[in-house]
Amino acid sequence: MKYLIIGNSAAGINAANIIRANDKKSSITIISNEEFNAYGRPLISYYLSGKVKPENMNYRSVDFYKSRNIEVLLNTEAEKIDIKNKEISISGDVKLSYDKLLIATGSSPFIPQIKNLDMDKQKNVFTFLTYKDSIKLKTKVTKKSKVVIAGAGLIGLKAAEGLFGQVASITVVDLADRVMTSILDKPVADDIQSHIEQNDIDFKLQTNICEVDGEQNISRIILSNGEILNCDILIVAVGVRPNINLAYSAGIKTAKGIIVNKYMQTSEKDIYAAGDCVESLDLLSNKSKILALWPNASNQGETAGFNMAGTKKKAPAAFAMNAISFFGLQLISAGIISGLNLNNGITYSTKNNLRRLNILNDNLIGFILINDNQRAGIYTALINDRTKLSTLEYDITLKDISLSVYPKEERTKKIWDYKGCSL
Amino acid sequence: MKKIYAFESKCLGCGLCEVYCKTAHSKSKDIIKAHKQENITSAIVIEEILQPKAVSYFALQCRHCSSPKCVKACISGAMYKDEKGIVRNDKEKCVSCLSCVLVCPFGAIKKSINGKTVSKCDLCIDYGKSLCIEYCPNEAIKLLNENEAEALK
Repeated sequence: MKYLIIGNSAAGINAANIIRANDKKSSITIISNEEFNAYGRPLISYYLSGKVKPENMNYRSVDFYKSRNIEVLLNTEAEKIDIKNKEISISGDVKLSYDKLLIATGSSPFIPQIKNLDMDKQKNVFTFLTYKDSIKLKTKVTKKSKVVIAGAGLIGLKAAEGLFGQVASITVVDLADRVMTSILDKPVADDIQSHIEQNDIDFKLQTNICEVDGEQNISRIILSNGEILNCDILIVAVGVRPNINLAYSAGIKTAKGIIVNKYMQTSEKDIYAAGDCVESLDLLSNKSKILALWPNASNQGETAGFNMAGTKKKAPAAFAMNAISFFGLQLISAGIISGLNLNNGITYSTKNNLRRLNILNDNLIGFILINDNQRAGIYTALINDRTKLSTLEYDITLKDISLSVYPKEERTKKIWDYKGCSL
Repeated sequence: MKKIYAFESKCLGCGLCEVYCKTAHSKSKDIIKAHKQENITSAIVIEEILQPKAVSYFALQCRHCSSPKCVKACISGAMYKDEKGIVRNDKEKCVSCLSCVLVCPFGAIKKSINGKTVSKCDLCIDYGKSLCIEYCPNEAIKLLNENEAEALK
């Protein structure tokens, strides 16, 4: 049996690991269009700030590939999948055959239409999704750089934090009325924004970049509200798009992302897909959507690995969840945050400390915790298990969460299960 | 592999397990220095159960899951399952993002006091023996393998 994995990040690595654990003999090959062994992708902002050194960027130990007899081909682009002959083309004429293929191609930065913007030509415009992006950016910035970041989402804000203290100014531009629209509601977003502003980061919200000035280098940025910003570095971080072209052009079923079943299998029997390039069934909306999250990619990779190696397993439930910090402020959020008519139970909230639970029809469907993270995973479990809150021992809006919230029988069952969590 | 099990009916909630957890994970391995000089976060979570007329406790620790959610959520690769099956956190690699805290359904991982990493039970693998168990005055926590635990359930 020949296993081939396209992609060398959370989904690809976790798949390879499980395949090897279940199949000691077959060959496993990972191909990656990047030049590094797997690294903790969200660490690129920590590398930028200097908090994480290059030797700690590795996602797995240095002997991960060798000890598991996994071949890894770096700097290698998968160009075409030939489903009929079960092979893929890399760099022109070279072909690699497979019996089971995993597509874990991740996502790419979305580049919006901006007048005069030319990513290939202008040398001071960057995206921020790969280790290489971060290295290039770190080399380019100086104490005098005036940095403009397009996008106030997680990626844009982490880039801003990573550059803090290393440049002259940082301005974040976003069309939305708040930061991190996808994971925060307005009041919490406003609190976080003012916390970030205290660290000399400026925001221009409800406007966007409509034009840039400069041939080889961008020197000025024109906003749709008429404002003009001087700019030495532009970072484009307005969002990502799943890399589906490889799958799509091979005839594999895609929509926004690659379509998979609960076993992470695509419309082709021997081809699986996992991670940011696929559509996941969102537990809370029951809709198929892109849930580009590190834990989700790992879960899906692991699930795909089991199924490719012949053990049938369903992917765990997926829903939005994020743990992230900005300038010492620790934010945890999961599930549905806004947009519904909710019976919100805010247990308590002080200036830099907030615990907010969103409850709908006897279910916890979302939460935001700021600087208050104790046992947050039990809330996540209540969402994940669709636990009826009325069956619990106490009202979760009145008291801190703990395992004692579960009735004794259930609590005992949980902590006495030798396996703990299993897939 | 053996894991630590908590016996609800026997726990006094005295907190000695936490004292010895900190000692075992200190540099000095000295109970006084560990508490007074070293900023250590115990890896044990003492759970309090309020009943109508009494309070009971149990000392919860990492379950070293077969498919650990914390390992899969970890963005840096700091959290890992070693060859013995023990789920461990590499403090050098941890960036304290708390993704593990977000997904652990047991609430068994804590942000450390210094804010730089997280604290969780590693069965005192580096110390050589689980001190919390040795010093529990009432045998309310025990190190058991799967069959032993089944028998005592």
